[in-house]
Amino acid sequence: MNQKRQTRSRIYKTTSLSQLSWSSGKKIAFTSALFSCVVVNAQGQPVANAAQDSTGWKVGIVLDAGATSKAMALGDRGKGLQLGHSDLTVSGALGTHLKAQLTGVAETHEGKLESNLDEAWLETTSLPMGLQMRAGRFASQVGYLNAQHPHADDFVERPLLYRALLGGHWIDDGLRLNWTAPTEKYLMFGMEVFRGKNLVGEAANAPGNLAAMAWVAKLGDDFNSSNSWQLGLSHIKNRREAAIEEHHGDEEQAEAMHDHHGAQYTGKNTWMLDGTWKWSPNGNNRTEQLKLGFEIARTTGLNRFASASDRHQSHALSAVWRFNPSWELGIRSDLLKVSQPLETLFVIAKMREHALMLAYKPTHMQTLRLQYTTQRNVTGFESPAKNAVQLQYVLAFGAHGAHPF
Amino acid sequence: MRTLSNWIRWPLWVSILGAGLTLTISLPTQAFTVFACEPEWAALSRVLVPEAKVHVATHAAQDPHHIEARPALIAKMRQADLVVCTGAGLESGWLPVLQQRAGNPKAQSVFWASDHVVMIDPQPAAIGTPWAGDVHAEGNPHVHLDPRNVLLVAQALRDRLQQEWPDQKSAIAVRHRSFEEQWQQRIAQWTRLAAPLRGQPIAVQHASFGYLWDWLGMKLVADLEPKPGMSPTPGHLQRLLDGLRHNPPRAVIVANYQDPRAGRWLSNQLGKQVPLLVLPATVSDPADGTALADWMEGLIRSLLPLVKP
Repeated sequence: MNQKRQTRSRIYKTTSLSQLSWSSGKKIAFTSALFSCVVVNAQGQPVANAAQDSTGWKVGIVLDAGATSKAMALGDRGKGLQLGHSDLTVSGALGTHLKAQLTGVAETHEGKLESNLDEAWLETTSLPMGLQMRAGRFASQVGYLNAQHPHADDFVERPLLYRALLGGHWIDDGLRLNWTAPTEKYLMFGMEVFRGKNLVGEAANAPGNLAAMAWVAKLGDDFNSSNSWQLGLSHIKNRREAAIEEHHGDEEQAEAMHDHHGAQYTGKNTWMLDGTWKWSPNGNNRTEQLKLGFEIARTTGLNRFASASDRHQSHALSAVWRFNPSWELGIRSDLLKVSQPLETLFVIAKMREHALMLAYKPTHMQTLRLQYTTQRNVTGFESPAKNAVQLQYVLAFGAHGAHPF
Repeated sequence: MRTLSNWIRWPLWVSILGAGLTLTISLPTQAFTVFACEPEWAALSRVLVPEAKVHVATHAAQDPHHIEARPALIAKMRQADLVVCTGAGLESGWLPVLQQRAGNPKAQSVFWASDHVVMIDPQPAAIGTPWAGDVHAEGNPHVHLDPRNVLLVAQALRDRLQQEWPDQKSAIAVRHRSFEEQWQQRIAQWTRLAAPLRGQPIAVQHASFGYLWDWLGMKLVADLEPKPGMSPTPGHLQRLLDGLRHNPPRAVIVANYQDPRAGRWLSNQLGKQVPLLVLPATVSDPADGTALADWMEGLIRSLLPLVKP
């Protein structure tokens, strides 16, 4: 490993592409299933039993199509027309004590259509004393956005914080234990253990099987009938040390190995703080709503050569205003500052990103979003987008999960 | 370094969790707690179990279709012994999140009011298409607008409360009997009072009062919503106006949680003889023992002036 380290010249980590993907046969079956359902709907013949059958199992499909004028540094969407995060979700009760959910995802990634099994979990519904367990593959509940499905996001791409430090959306195999306190205010403590392979794909050390642990605390309440808030504090303890990219003299090969499922910038400890404030007149969020959010993250213990001052840091501030039942206007400002490992040293890279979006939602199952993004004050990142315009269309069929605060 | 931070962190988190759990176990048994999704069911629960603690998720000025799954509501659901909601998809945008996060097994088996009545306007074929608007496949969920439905729901809720709270069984039965008797008398009075409203044409926004129109026999001639749950559009309003000019309704009626602008515009265009009427879609103070009756009586008295001599 050390020998490889000395020959590297590019600075990103690799993860194995096959990690999350199904076998190719299943991939094709899944993708064709996804599209055949859509065709039935497109012909105006609703799948009458698609949303809810007699046993209470629900099926929902979300399609996300997008066009991007220029790919952004650390962006999830390439230039041109493509399929965004589109999914097929099946969920329901297994007996009286368990709930299950399966989510298959198809999306264009670097020009190719990929499909993954994003979620496959079982959750308890009847543990006493406010306890709840979940096991399987699922999105960690760290931060504000990570537990949310991307189609519910207010912007075309997640904040830099997520794209840089959590691989966009940290989904992993593991176990969760949550406890909701019996208090007047909402107070929740959660613990998750994960394999960690979707945080750090290729580890330089041998950290064992359950190598990432996340602690989450959430506190929230109503301020009055029009205002409510939530604060979250998360900590990720990651024992997988990222292998530093080696260079084989073949850039294409290195590019091919550069997978989006792992996070680009990782470390041993990540702390995240998030806050959300929502206002709507008398709590009628459909009529009008103002949503303010901030998230801050700091990662330390970058690798075995790192000192205490080597760290990744990022924040995101956003405001989204639903000024009419069908229209939303949003602005977001991100800052990212990372210490990129280079040999035994670290080189600081920085970037600011500002986004302005306008979304039209004629019904609650359709969103048409236009976004302008600019990446500024860029040091140390390749091909930033000075100006990027993105258009996104999200369409939901069938059962559509309720959205968290 | 790792061992050091582990040594610090582990006991910290374990002690927080441990302290919390001990607190949970040692807390004194609380009063029977009902979590009601809508004020009408909170009011009905108050009638049957006045000593219970009743949390209400929404209030009269809110559209129960569209509220946030707020942290405060999760905390309330965490404490619930019984969850009483409408069902038929009315709360599907927020209730599942509360159930999932509350970690309360008692919140899983919800008392659905709509399970105990015959719903109007079921639309099984319209499920889940993105262009259909907010269609409730099971039918119109605003079942409390027909007082005869309130009787049916009260019976079922009595049974459920007796089951959840066996030591109050006879007290609940007594209170229910008295409520039922009074309510039946009121229905008879209201029916007499509202007889002149039969056949009167009205324009509305959304099917919020659908059961009321059916019960009173009022004639729905226009809906300001182009599709269920969609806000009125200028084009749709213009078409309605053209159609209603020659056959004006007695009034344009909207619920108090709706934006009145579209209704006001239509009413202004149709002239003085077509007023805009803003009606409460549910009780305003569910803690008041006679809230349900006062509200229903108020609705009928607001409609009576529409009858032309």
